[in-house]
Amino acid sequence: MSRRGGGGRAASQGGGGEGEIDLTPMLDVVFIMLIFFIVTSSFVKEPGVPIVKAEAVTTDPCERGTIIFAVNALGDIYYDKKQIPVERAYRLAEAAKKEAPKANFVVQADTDAPTSALSELLAAIKPLMDAPLCASTEEAG
Amino acid sequence: MRKRNREGDTDEAQIDLTPMLDVVFIMLIFFIVVASFLKEAGIEVNRPDASESNPQDDKGGILVTITGDDQIWMENRRIDIRAVRANIARLLASDPEQGFTVKTESGASAGTLLEVGDAAREAGVKQVNWPAEVAK
Repeated sequence: MSRRGGGGRAASQGGGGEGEIDLTPMLDVVFIMLIFFIVTSSFVKEPGVPIVKAEAVTTDPCERGTIIFAVNALGDIYYDKKQIPVERAYRLAEAAKKEAPKANFVVQADTDAPTSALSELLAAIKPLMDAPLCASTEEAG
Repeated sequence: MRKRNREGDTDEAQIDLTPMLDVVFIMLIFFIVVASFLKEAGIEVNRPDASESNPQDDKGGILVTITGDDQIWMENRRIDIRAVRANIARLLASDPEQGFTVKTESGASAGTLLEVGDAAREAGVKQVNWPAEVAK
């Protein structure tokens, strides 16, 4: 209160000040949360197709793996909740890579997915990859 | 009367934070809602460049072949998926730096490929190479 002004005025405001809530600490917290969520938001487009992932003991987190393709048991390729032909994978991957240049590719392959479909997809996006492909697996055990 | 005037002055000097708070809260809620804390986890599979995947270059690396009917072949014999790790570990013991390549024939399933890759990584292989399938 004292920094707001001299004696009498501070006293008269003191009465009103008790009725008001000081919002400054809450604002601080809200801003910090806001910045945190802005920074961490990645806008990942999920393939949105159910996949039975293989189990692997050596499952590691995919570093910045935010461009996600899925290959289901029939060998169909999914991206952003839509089935896509393999010819379109490159253009979609290129667009996603332009949006987030540091993002890496992840492929969710069903255990029954034919490797030929996976191989074709990988061949299509290979020119855009600057890290090994992260093949999504389930932590075993 | 004087008091009211003075209070009016202080109100003018203070900025009304309410509209900003509204905006900030709406932004906060938006970002909380869109934040997807999805953490993908998996194993890394490297596709060697086309020039590297020459089937003729025998660099002495470990080679595992998965046939179209999901059989795993290694050193000219068929092995069980559970034996892959031990076999790779044995080969790796002689030269821990050697590369590892898994080849698939069309018709193999991704599950087998990933199981072999997992076994290799468990055995201590640094990078799993999976060259393009050669057309039969």
